[in-house]
Amino acid sequence: MRTLEEICLPGYDKSLAEYIALNRKIESALNDKELVVNKTIRLAILASSTIRGIEEVLRVQCAEIGIYADIYLGEYNQYAQEIFNSGSQLYQFNPDLIIVFADTRAITGEYFFMPYKGLADDRKIWMAETSAFFRNLVNELTKQTSAKVILHNFEIPTYSPLGILESKDDYGFVESIEDINRGLRNDLKNNNQVFLFDFNTFCSKVGKKEVFDDKMYYLGDIKIKLQYIPSLCQEYLKYIRPLASLIKKCIVLDLDNTLWGGIIGENGVDGIKLGPTPEGRPFWEFQQLLLSLYNRGVLLAVNSKNNFDDAIEVIRNHKYMVLREEYFAAIRINWNDKASNIQSIAEEINIGIDSLVFFDDDSVNREMVRTFHPEVMVVDLPSDPALYVETLINLNCFEMLSLTKEDKKKGMMYLAEKKRRQLVHTATNLTEYLRQLETVVVIEDVNKGTIPRIAQMTQKTNQFNMTTFRYTDEKIKEFVEDDNYLVISLSLTDKFGDSGITGLSIVERKNRDHWWIDTFLLSCRIIGRKAEDALLAYIVKKAQVSGASLLSGAFIPSEKNMPAKEFYNNCGMKKMGNKDEMEIWEFDLKKDFPFPDFISIRESGDQISSN
Amino acid sequence: MVSNNERLKKLISRVLDIELNSITDTTSPETVESWDSFNGLMMVSELENEFSVRFTMDEVHAVKCVKDIKEALGLQGVKFEDE
Repeated sequence: MRTLEEICLPGYDKSLAEYIALNRKIESALNDKELVVNKTIRLAILASSTIRGIEEVLRVQCAEIGIYADIYLGEYNQYAQEIFNSGSQLYQFNPDLIIVFADTRAITGEYFFMPYKGLADDRKIWMAETSAFFRNLVNELTKQTSAKVILHNFEIPTYSPLGILESKDDYGFVESIEDINRGLRNDLKNNNQVFLFDFNTFCSKVGKKEVFDDKMYYLGDIKIKLQYIPSLCQEYLKYIRPLASLIKKCIVLDLDNTLWGGIIGENGVDGIKLGPTPEGRPFWEFQQLLLSLYNRGVLLAVNSKNNFDDAIEVIRNHKYMVLREEYFAAIRINWNDKASNIQSIAEEINIGIDSLVFFDDDSVNREMVRTFHPEVMVVDLPSDPALYVETLINLNCFEMLSLTKEDKKKGMMYLAEKKRRQLVHTATNLTEYLRQLETVVVIEDVNKGTIPRIAQMTQKTNQFNMTTFRYTDEKIKEFVEDDNYLVISLSLTDKFGDSGITGLSIVERKNRDHWWIDTFLLSCRIIGRKAEDALLAYIVKKAQVSGASLLSGAFIPSEKNMPAKEFYNNCGMKKMGNKDEMEIWEFDLKKDFPFPDFISIRESGDQISSN
Repeated sequence: MVSNNERLKKLISRVLDIELNSITDTTSPETVESWDSFNGLMMVSELENEFSVRFTMDEVHAVKCVKDIKEALGLQGVKFEDE
């Protein structure tokens, strides 16, 4: 039996022919039933041109990250027909993700060569009709399926028959295509299901002269040189990774020659390179880019072999240090080996070690971390600091399908966490600690605005998660709109700050008597302060008020959710037995489950309990 | 030094997923099921990269078997030894 990664050997750029050969190996291992598959994703790809080659490459790129991609390739140039036919193979395939690749040459046809045959008004009409066509396509897709959709925008042509007078026309050819792209972008801003893929920017990145091969277009209606298919597929991976819940959460950084030029222990504060000088700028801008990722919810940590005082001096006081102490969720500046430091960083921040990314200029350190922690993404930092910014920009592992207010404040929340940990040390016992925290918990129904955060939590929360069911925004919306479901969020604030929405539950009212807990999870950051008890107490109370006699739920063990294993037991629920992997637990609603001490509970603004 | 014959055969074997030693001058879309129009174009792309040449559309159309590939490459200065 082999795993996908064993077959595909991730970690190096492959040629198109290698991708095709590896794809064959995967398919034959699958047919021989010799393949270990842990994660599967169903992808549909529809296009206006020939896209053979994309399936093979995408399958291998997915395999490199441990996902088996079951792929449906639409018929040549039948994308509209398949989308508008509710019985089409596209919908029967039941994809998780649909990629729609319509290209400029296909949609312009004769207009591409003779856009000035008509007048400005004719071009406006063409633009409006084409925009409406794609708007209808999107509407039909969102009506028929809850799959995520990636729609290509259109490559802006580099040539116009008007030449340098193109920009002087009342409504020019290039302008009409720009307007289609702009219109699509505006339409989709508030649509969580459909993403506009900037194919135009992709072509610019590769080089519009370079990406198109006329001969291939004439011979086979191939719109992108075959050797660039792997690059295009890497763009698709930016959507596939978060859809498969493979998201990196924290960047661990070395200091010397990574965050600044030189070695602080040898060069001293005035000798290191950091700031607006030619040698300092690469590091200064690298830090600025890291800060922008921090502001979007990526955590930062330090892993450096140094005297603590020397290094912290730079972090705290250097004029051009962008990443101050408070931006780091964990700091290890010591003489321990970097692999143990990484382990302890993951433990302190309480995230899986497989959600870390490691930057270090020293290849020996990198190799060591790779050896001891193969799940950590160790970046092959180029030896030239001028390339650090570009390397960070090209890392695709932080993409998310939505960004919530909790994401943006994540760094600040970890700072608040650090302060809470310090309080634990000074409070004399657990009771004192809980009392001093002044915790307030708000439990309320999930609404349209909070759906993305709820869906995201189901995708990312691994430890205190009773059943680990992963749901998309669309699925959560279905639960919220279904009267038979109670979907509630838990937000927590204490003396140190607002953690935002950090827990949720999805409860099914199976009938008048029986409520079933489908999902019950909390962020591991807030475990241990009875917030989980408050959430269960709320559900119990709601069930009792509605007249139910039985509340039950399941615990499905996973690699990571051992912290949740004893929860139902500790709450006085009885284990009724096992159904396959599921442990079924029951709560007798004739009993009471009191709200915990030291927590103020608010139900959407009203206080319902305070101890 | 790898001979051009070997480079060519390895390339064809990779693209069409056939055994190296089954490839002869008469190998063609008629004799190999996997040699369809798309794989033919993939071969063109791989050949252009491997031998640093560019074919014209006519040259691509004219290729009906492996011998024709060698001749097309020959016109661009790539020499093949007799086998």
